[in-house]
Amino acid sequence: MRRRWAPCVPGAALVLCALLVGQISFAAPGPREVIDETANQVLVVLRDKSLEKQQKIHRIEDIAYARFDFDTISRLVLARNWNSLSDSQQREFVKEFKEHLSVTYGRNVDSYSNEKVVIVSDREEARGDWTVKTKIIRSTGDDFQVDYRLRQKDADWKIIDVVIEGVSLIANFRSQFQDIISSGGIDHLITLLREKNAAGETIVENPKLKPKD
Amino acid sequence: MRSTDARSRLAMHSRPTWPALCGMLVLTLALAGCAGATARGAAPGGAYDPLEPVNRKVFWFNDKFDQYLLKPVATGWDWLLPGAVERSVRNFFDNLRFPVRATNDLLQVKLEHAAVDLGRFAVNTTVGAAGFFDPATTWGLERNNEDLGQTLGYYGCPAGPYLVLPIFGPSNPRDAIGLAGDSFIAVYPIFVPFVYTFSATVVDTVNSRALALTSVEEAKKASLDFYSAVRDAYTQRRQRLINDGAEAPTGNENELYFPDDGEPSGAPGVVVPPGAAPTGGNGQGGGAR
Repeated sequence: MRRRWAPCVPGAALVLCALLVGQISFAAPGPREVIDETANQVLVVLRDKSLEKQQKIHRIEDIAYARFDFDTISRLVLARNWNSLSDSQQREFVKEFKEHLSVTYGRNVDSYSNEKVVIVSDREEARGDWTVKTKIIRSTGDDFQVDYRLRQKDADWKIIDVVIEGVSLIANFRSQFQDIISSGGIDHLITLLREKNAAGETIVENPKLKPKD
Repeated sequence: MRSTDARSRLAMHSRPTWPALCGMLVLTLALAGCAGATARGAAPGGAYDPLEPVNRKVFWFNDKFDQYLLKPVATGWDWLLPGAVERSVRNFFDNLRFPVRATNDLLQVKLEHAAVDLGRFAVNTTVGAAGFFDPATTWGLERNNEDLGQTLGYYGCPAGPYLVLPIFGPSNPRDAIGLAGDSFIAVYPIFVPFVYTFSATVVDTVNSRALALTSVEEAKKASLDFYSAVRDAYTQRRQRLINDGAEAPTGNENELYFPDDGEPSGAPGVVVPPGAAPTGGNGQGGGAR
């Protein structure tokens, strides 16, 4: 009997400690933890050699869909145009934009070459938003900075922007979409997204363009 | 981004000279020019691009130049050389740009950065075999990115309208002046025969383009309007470099993350063409938070 219980003692102590600390251990993870967890989950998928490319894409999609707030992202990207969209246009836009991001960034899962993610710092922004700064460490030495902006939705922290080397994706897409909307209207934008998504899925990778190392 | 870098690198070769004096002269001239300019910010969320029709044509030309000349050559280069060699070549040219960086560190009175850049140059030129390797970064001497365009921005000179320069790519009057000034700081053409500096520029450009083959392709795939994607990325990146990645408010942040705040007081938002949005979609401003 005694031997059976022995291994459990450290675990039980840990649980006890956690209970004593109380709220802290049961509260929803903070922005820094969210980024940390997300990065680790994604890296686990990328490193898993037993997965096919398509499986990897689906797993990362699942992670991203849980961590990103695509409604807010869509609203920020369309800025003032958002309110002039009908409900169905809004839904359609969110759907196509989400797919665009997925198609665009999903096709890179194969080019993973042992990059690591390091959280550099985090800080509070205006009105409760939060920024978590990370660095992608590459074996080639060309590190780059990726900052995540998070906003609390209900109790959870969700990513609402990704800033790569100082370039905000929201601002970048907003600039593109404004040009498209002002020349052809929102329906033109949705059509373009749809066409691009359809084409993106059939693009055959050019092996010559694969990154080295 | 790297393509931008690649193009802007065309004019930034350098040999150690008497940079500070020349830089000061250019800076004085440029600031005098800037003093007359009124600070014009970009329209909220949009870019200040009154020359867009011309810019788009030049952009198209640059794209064709890339498609039919630079990219094929760079692809061949990339096929010949392993990535590690390409990065070494990049390090070599980057190391030669030390005078430009150090001068602009000094012009912005960033003495610590100047010391770091001097240390980098010393370490990489010796231990790093004439700059082909970058041991300095491993030792904690991280590269600073400075140029005259940033110095001008640092002292409050507005960027002015977005400009696409032939071959050189994305720019604006401030950065174009900076580019010219930086090549002046690097007075190498006086000492080195043109044919060498020209060949070096070609090699550097092709090499940079080779390193960016994948990322440019990805950026094209990711964007719906490559022109405005590049314009915005350039504008954002330059602003960030001027701030040295600090948390200095850009003024656009509120507009970016809280676009529903306070209706625009005559600010030029996006004009949705009449009929582009169904009328039934209007009047739901309350549901946006």
